[in-house]
Amino acid sequence: MEGMNIRKFGLLIIIVFLLLGCSNVKNDIRVQNNSSEDPVKIKELLTKDERIKSAAVLFHERELLTAVRMKTFSRFSKRKIGKELEKKLKEYYPELNVTVSVDNKILMEMNKLMDMKKQEKVSKKIKKLKSLIKEET
Amino acid sequence: MDEKKYAKLEQEISPKIPLMKNILKAFLTGGIICLVAQFVALFYMTYFDFTERTASNPTVATMIFFSMLLTGFGLYKKIGQFGGAGSAVPITGFGNAVISAAIEHKSEGYVLGVGSNMFKLAGSVILFGVFSAFVVALIKTILVKLGVVSW
Repeated sequence: MEGMNIRKFGLLIIIVFLLLGCSNVKNDIRVQNNSSEDPVKIKELLTKDERIKSAAVLFHERELLTAVRMKTFSRFSKRKIGKELEKKLKEYYPELNVTVSVDNKILMEMNKLMDMKKQEKVSKKIKKLKSLIKEET
Repeated sequence: MDEKKYAKLEQEISPKIPLMKNILKAFLTGGIICLVAQFVALFYMTYFDFTERTASNPTVATMIFFSMLLTGFGLYKKIGQFGGAGSAVPITGFGNAVISAAIEHKSEGYVLGVGSNMFKLAGSVILFGVFSAFVVALIKTILVKLGVVSW
């Protein structure tokens, strides 16, 4: 009797976790512009790309920081897609410092950064994020 | 009774191995271990400055620590009995191999017992891991020097 209950409970947990993967489908692309550049082009590029699930884009002074999250099966080649995006963005905005990251952590931090009220700290945070992207170990 | 007869008899008497059931069990056990590790990695990414790429190192260390604790309390062998290879193939199996050997040889003293026997099983994992990493790095270096691929 006891063992049966544990088995049922385990099955329930497995089903719940399996079904959790089905939810959470949202396609949101956030763009925040603190500069005089035109953000329409990048927005168009990101919405048109079928492989991208969500993205955060931040223009700040001479920096263009982009973090993207891929759809499940595009995640296997996410570094390649990221490089491709970076190349395209450098063509679109030749006078900006373009950084593209496909890392979830960067996307998380970017969303935090965009919600931040104080604008003075943004440059400092961007510097920190860029060093985090470069980190290899 | 000749050899063929014996082999036939042996096959008839010995219980059938439930292959599909074992595979399913191993799949579930290994999957659950990896699910836990995924949450640990998410924890390191949320609360510390680790990216997806760098979070793997502390995650591996934490998972080995968990399996060492479980081995010490005698719980990992129950997981191993249920999951088979599903509990041995992830990195937790490595921690289990180290600590179970250490516990087994504790009675022989700390230096000659625990110290020299701790890596009895896991030592080959380290040796061949390092060696295969060296070989792969060598091949990649040669390919980069030849200009076939880039870093």
